[in-house]
Amino acid sequence: MTKPGYILVKLVEVAVIFFIILTALFFLFRLSPGDPMSKMVDPMLTPEDMAHLIEQMGLDRPLWEQYLIYVKNFLTGSFGFSFHYGEPVSHIIVDKLKWTILLFTTSTVLAAFAGIFLGKIAAWHKGSHLDNVMSISALVCYTLFIPWFALLLLWILGFKLGLFPLGGVLSPQLWVGNASLLVRILDVLHHLMLPLMTLFIINLGSYLLLMRSSMLSVLREDYIITARAKGLSEKVIRNKHAAQNAALPVITSVGLSLAFSINGGALTEQIFTWPGIGKELIFAVSNNDYPLAQACFLLIALVVLVANLIVDLLYAWLDPRITY
Amino acid sequence: MLNKYSLQRFYKGWQIFIENPLGKTGVIILVVFMFMAIASFFVPLIGPMYDPMTGIDPDIRVSTGPSLTHWLGTDNVGRDLFAQLLEGAKVAFIVGLSAAFISIVIGTLVGMVAGYTGGLLDAFLMRTADIIMVLPSLVILLILASLFGQFNIWIIVFIIAIMRWPAVSRVIRSQTLSLKHRPFIEASRVAGASHLRIIFRHIMPNVLPLAFLYMTFRVTAAILVEAALSFLGFGDPSQVSWGMMLQWVWKSGHMFQAPYWLIPPGMCISLLTLAFYLLGRAMDEVLDPRLRKEGQA
Amino acid sequence: MTLLSVKNLSIGYKTKKGLLKAVDNISFDLEKGLPLGFVGESGCGKTTIGMALMGLLPENAVILEGSIQFQGEDLVRLTEKQWRKVRGAKIAMIFQAAMNALNPVHRVDEQIKEAIITHQPDMSDADLSDRLNALFDLVDIPVARMKDYPHEYSGGMKQRVIIAMALACDPDLIIADEPTTALDVIVQDQILKEIRKVQQKIRTGLIFISHDIAVVASVCDRICVMYAGQIVETGTKKEVFTSPRHPYTLSLLGSYLSLDNLDDIVIPDMQEPPDLLSDIGSCRFADNCRVCSETCKKEEPGWVQISATHKAFCCEPQIIRGSHGKN
Ligand SMILES: Nc1ncnc2c1ncn2[C@@H]1O[C@H](COP(=O)(O)OP(=O)(O)OP(=O)(O)O)[C@@H](O)[C@H]1O
Ligand code: SF4
Ligand SMILES: [Mg+2]
Repeated sequence: MTKPGYILVKLVEVAVIFFIILTALFFLFRLSPGDPMSKMVDPMLTPEDMAHLIEQMGLDRPLWEQYLIYVKNFLTGSFGFSFHYGEPVSHIIVDKLKWTILLFTTSTVLAAFAGIFLGKIAAWHKGSHLDNVMSISALVCYTLFIPWFALLLLWILGFKLGLFPLGGVLSPQLWVGNASLLVRILDVLHHLMLPLMTLFIINLGSYLLLMRSSMLSVLREDYIITARAKGLSEKVIRNKHAAQNAALPVITSVGLSLAFSINGGALTEQIFTWPGIGKELIFAVSNNDYPLAQACFLLIALVVLVANLIVDLLYAWLDPRITY
Repeated sequence: MLNKYSLQRFYKGWQIFIENPLGKTGVIILVVFMFMAIASFFVPLIGPMYDPMTGIDPDIRVSTGPSLTHWLGTDNVGRDLFAQLLEGAKVAFIVGLSAAFISIVIGTLVGMVAGYTGGLLDAFLMRTADIIMVLPSLVILLILASLFGQFNIWIIVFIIAIMRWPAVSRVIRSQTLSLKHRPFIEASRVAGASHLRIIFRHIMPNVLPLAFLYMTFRVTAAILVEAALSFLGFGDPSQVSWGMMLQWVWKSGHMFQAPYWLIPPGMCISLLTLAFYLLGRAMDEVLDPRLRKEGQA
Repeated sequence: MTLLSVKNLSIGYKTKKGLLKAVDNISFDLEKGLPLGFVGESGCGKTTIGMALMGLLPENAVILEGSIQFQGEDLVRLTEKQWRKVRGAKIAMIFQAAMNALNPVHRVDEQIKEAIITHQPDMSDADLSDRLNALFDLVDIPVARMKDYPHEYSGGMKQRVIIAMALACDPDLIIADEPTTALDVIVQDQILKEIRKVQQKIRTGLIFISHDIAVVASVCDRICVMYAGQIVETGTKKEVFTSPRHPYTLSLLGSYLSLDNLDDIVIPDMQEPPDLLSDIGSCRFADNCRVCSETCKKEEPGWVQISATHKAFCCEPQIIRGSHGKN
């Protein structure tokens, strides 16, 4: 298979999986107690608006037609109206998505790089004090209960020491007024620190442990002896021959642990009132805002699938042994 | 299945396991939590005041710190935090072990069937597993909770188990594939053994150790998901759990005022997770001779 | 002129059960530009010697005594930094291709280039590519395949690349540890030819290790036979094949006899070699030896010189009549 062919196959795969999830969600909504109307149409609306919405979603049609309309609506980006905001759901979630992506990608990428780097060092000095300290700390980070850890950080760094804001993305005084872009960006970064730190530390633990064990098994490989036999310096052996190979499985595991990270991301957003998709989902679920919940869920599923796709492609690109 | 040989093997495995510092630490932490779980049965007997859910100290109306009558203090309605913590240990074990057990049963069955039959059924089962594997279980539980209302603890356990079998089934499947063409399996096939018999008599005993290894990791996942769900306020409202305690301290606004309330439950969740993780790692080393050798050299 | 001179070399491995003496008091010399073969059963210490000559013994290994003189230096005393100047440049190693000796994520030419650049950092790009072309030519790999990844090569090609890699810096000594094991017979033959051809062409010293005495004989004129950490017999190919003196050599040849003279010799039921963890103090082959005498069990055997090039480590060196050799 050629490279474009491989990418195409992967894309189709993602599309099919997403379609299955979409379908499953539709039937879950119909299976759940209560009629679908009450789930998709805000009971507080005026009768005309209600009629209009019912028409738009085909809620008075037979099930299969409803399904087709549901798929069509999804493809055109109309998810209905949020009960709580009284706005089209699509407007709300697009705004939230950027915050989730900011938090999620920065924490994952930073943690992956740091974890790979530190894991490499730990494995290289296996059995030393340095290794013991790093492995044990990583183990502790990895097993920390995320919400609890987030609350501790909030309590100590935010509340007691006052180093960081207690929540949100932007200080209220900057909402209005004409603060410069730079000031706003710095303020957002200031708000980002605590949630970022939470996710970073927890992901760092798992990537460090993975890289360490992957590196240890690579160091037992014969080609490491070959590299030594060539008279290469220890640094070249460590970085070029061991770490490059060892990092590959870690990248795969980034893909596999995405689901875990998303869970953690939602909890972190909730605690630091970071206005992302995860927090929005929890809000929607708590307030029975079904259209919003549905859209958030689908968006999260999409984020997971796309991130997985990226990891797959990255892996295929990095590992010459993958034949398309 | 439990003949002398496998007993001996088990004993040898246990020896390596308990010599391993990881395994030892894990076992010690676990034992402590087990005592806590057992103690939780006796605490309410001391007096109705110590019931973790309904016991209220009549003299206390606000959250108070540790004292002689309440070792860890009380929450804002006067319930004893230590009693709640013990109850939480019990719930964590129940949730973790039963969810893990169900998921390894499903995972082992699916993995054996997929690996043994191959073909379309295999492809179908494994694609399903792939899809489930990428879904974040907490998010799924949240959306289900929004549709079906609050779940009781057993439904939560069951949903977690349903979300968590795919990784097990993948491992069991590849193990089954490698067993499938071993002479003893081929021989019993030639001898006319039925498929069911081959799967249960010959394949299952060989994949079970792996399944149990995976069970320890599943326990961790289940405890974490249940705690997170409770923390967010979608847990079983009739059940005290560590996640629930954190939800209470957070929602009642005591998180910055009552460290004696905030710290213990989270610490317990983290330590129990750590214990099961250590156990899993140690078992890994017992089952994987390559790792063991590395440790000895 | 002597290129390499090993004297009284003993190497042990620290294990949980104690010190395992894998190489015990071994001495041999190697002339410049000549091949020398080591043969012996699995576990007799061949790889340990090879790795000691590369300074690549595992962490738990200790050189207990002895010296390795190479170009006026005692390799035993080299620091890690000094070793890096020797490895790959003056002494190189041919590994077994069935092992994962090539890094799967780097291109083949890159892996060879790296060996050259490390030792000749000033080489110009043009010279470097000439050198690579020459190396690939030498081992008969089409230059067009140079930029492939290892997994795109067949087992035989990988083995050739590994040979090319060892030759990259024109070393004075090459150590080949079971270079053809796990290749199929035809490829094995080609590779042996390759090694012979290359060795004769560039006249490097070669230490060739194998458990198969016929393979060793096809490359080397001089052979050391090893048993349980010791050299038990050494001589020219002809001497070892036509008049083996050590009973172990005899049984090695016996296990290699062709079918037509199988009747002549009873292939003995061999017992495991003795436990290398303990001090043995008598002949290690005694339990398997058909001519073992009382003296053998009491004292360590000594060297018996048979000719200028031929000697055996045995109390009762056999005069075997009716030769079993093929050449
Ligand atoms: N790292 C090590 N730690 C402990 N013992 C070792 C180690 N490496 C080798 N040994 C032991 O040292 C002895 C010699 O091993 P060596 O690898 O040199 O044998 P060999 O002749 O190369 O065998 P083979 O033909 O199997 O490669 C064996 O008994 C082996 O078990
Ligand atoms: S020394 Fe004695 S026992 Fe050893 S090989 Fe020679 S004859 Fe046999
Ligand atoms: Mg060897």
